[in-house]
Amino acid sequence: MRLLEFQAKRLFQERGIPVPKGTLVRSSQDLEGLRYPVLLKAQVPVGGRGKAGAIRTVWSAQDAATALRELLKTSVKGCPIRAVLAEERIEASRELYFAVLIDRANRTPLLLASASGGIEIEEVARRDPTRVARIPVDLCLGPAEHSVRSLASRLELGDRLGEFRTIVERAFGIFRDLDATLVEINPLAVTAEGFLALDAKLLLDDKATFRHADLFRTLAEEGRALAPQEKGPAESLAEAAGLTYVGLDGDVGLISDGAGTGMLTLDLVQDAGGRAANFCELGALANAEGMREALGAVLANAAVKAVLVSLIGGLTRMDEIAEGIAAYLGEHAIHIPLVVRMAGTKEEEGRATLRAIGVETFDDLPAAVREAVLRAKEGRCRSS
Amino acid sequence: MSILVNEQTRVLVQGITGKVGSFQALVMKEYGTRIVAGVTPGKGGEAVHGIPVYDLIEEALASGPVDATLSFVPARFAKDAAIEAIENRIPLLVLSTGEIPDHDLLAILHYAETRGTRVIGPDTPGLVSPGKCKVGVHPNRVLRRGSIGVVSKSGALSYEVCKLLSESGFGQSTVVGIGGGPLWGTTQRDVLALFEKDPETRVIVLLGEVGGTMEHEAAAFIREKVTKPVIALIVGRAAPPGAQMGHAGALIEGEGETAEKKLAALKEAGCHVTRNPTEILSFIKKLGGKSR
Repeated sequence: MRLLEFQAKRLFQERGIPVPKGTLVRSSQDLEGLRYPVLLKAQVPVGGRGKAGAIRTVWSAQDAATALRELLKTSVKGCPIRAVLAEERIEASRELYFAVLIDRANRTPLLLASASGGIEIEEVARRDPTRVARIPVDLCLGPAEHSVRSLASRLELGDRLGEFRTIVERAFGIFRDLDATLVEINPLAVTAEGFLALDAKLLLDDKATFRHADLFRTLAEEGRALAPQEKGPAESLAEAAGLTYVGLDGDVGLISDGAGTGMLTLDLVQDAGGRAANFCELGALANAEGMREALGAVLANAAVKAVLVSLIGGLTRMDEIAEGIAAYLGEHAIHIPLVVRMAGTKEEEGRATLRAIGVETFDDLPAAVREAVLRAKEGRCRSS
Repeated sequence: MSILVNEQTRVLVQGITGKVGSFQALVMKEYGTRIVAGVTPGKGGEAVHGIPVYDLIEEALASGPVDATLSFVPARFAKDAAIEAIENRIPLLVLSTGEIPDHDLLAILHYAETRGTRVIGPDTPGLVSPGKCKVGVHPNRVLRRGSIGVVSKSGALSYEVCKLLSESGFGQSTVVGIGGGPLWGTTQRDVLALFEKDPETRVIVLLGEVGGTMEHEAAAFIREKVTKPVIALIVGRAAPPGAQMGHAGALIEGEGETAEKKLAALKEAGCHVTRNPTEILSFIKKLGGKSR
């Protein structure tokens, strides 16, 4: 889960990382009482807001009202702007970069810092890798004193070491206590009064929801209310069911019981001259109920002209999956060709269940892909 | 020979009394795996398909050594179960469970390293040396004993490839699923090193996917250290950047993480790169008797 900037800053403030004074603005009434100049920052859970013109500096109440009206009519990368953070403008003597994240290749938490703040760290690293300092941290021990001093020295912080240490320790505390996968402060402003997080990016691990059920649920609901994502009916159904679903712009609906076989099927559809309408993987829901939900979701996309179910079960049992397909077909009369490729654990039982309701299955994946692509093409011809 | 497991491997199943654990224990037993015990806290004294169940690993160890454990323990208890296996010095821990929090994995993997336990996974189908031992959930019928070493992030993709190879008479020495990530106990590189040393493995099939940089590390290792033929397939060529393709690790975030870039790196390292399982089979046929 990616938090909105203002949600992340609220958590920063609660945990002692200073942030600029700000208020959340949803309509022009909320602008009253601000002292200018003010930064208006669109609250959308995507990067590149600056480049998209979704962060504005305004110098008067009139400017602010105009800018707000414009922002609330805009979308950033498909996210309509519904809320704006109005924040005091900070004069910084220096802007640094600091983050705590997971170094996946080395399986350890990592501190990342650079004297070049304010731009994307990937960009800094591309231009000059020596400008990015990386120090691994032991998850239990936390940031070692010498690591903090080493970073401070690389950042040429001089007598501001103590203030920097506080930021590092508190950011790591957020990382550890909230099961974060990224705590990023970019830029981290150095001012005469102290260090301030001018921006905040916080990614929380959804897999750890069981440890933070109330907090994660509250944050997610708030995020959805303030930054609703535009979703089609298929995506909404899949999300409600807990399925993996990626919308694409073709007409072959795909369902697979594994990520790898799903990606392979997607590639094969493309190579066969077809275009997938989606990628949908059952994942942890590889059972009868998950299969039934997946068919409902994929078929909710009106662009779908044929559905290809690509199954090769190990952990997934084909007898259960077949029950799910049979249940869906028992409840719904579908007029779209359904192509099923079934192999793996309990495949005979699964095949028998489907044969009994008149659904023949394929054993060969490329043959099933060709059939689905062909049937989608026929569907296109009929409808045009 | 084979890597990591063989006919002698004594296997423990953690979470054996759950629906998945008990079913898969049966399938493994039918395959011939020596499952010596199961563990589920609170279910000690029961038996699953004739396999004795204990409350604690230390109780299971009292009746004989264990070489490998396969864990089906649900995500929220997976860390405790893994730490128990590591503290009991079980050399091989296969984490079938997916959805384990990243911080728990960091703790498990770090602790395992300090205690000398090899972790395979998480979110893995496990591993199998066909005809000898299966510590995993691979469908039995797609497997055949032979000399092709298979390493895969995705379980299902490895079943696809093994099915095709087996049906044409090309068997496997060992099939290792390393898991969908985005954290891994054992990497492609680690498995490549084991296959390179294994006299029974003559050809290596590397099955990767978009996202992350592991295939680049594998390519660098292949260029330096691997003398056996490596055939590579990277799925997700048609995956849009920025989308999570089912596996936590299958998310294209940087330029080097696309299928094209990975295939190019592997090709440059001397691998035979393919676009689908059928092309893997064609190349293996070309290698002929060498890979049978």
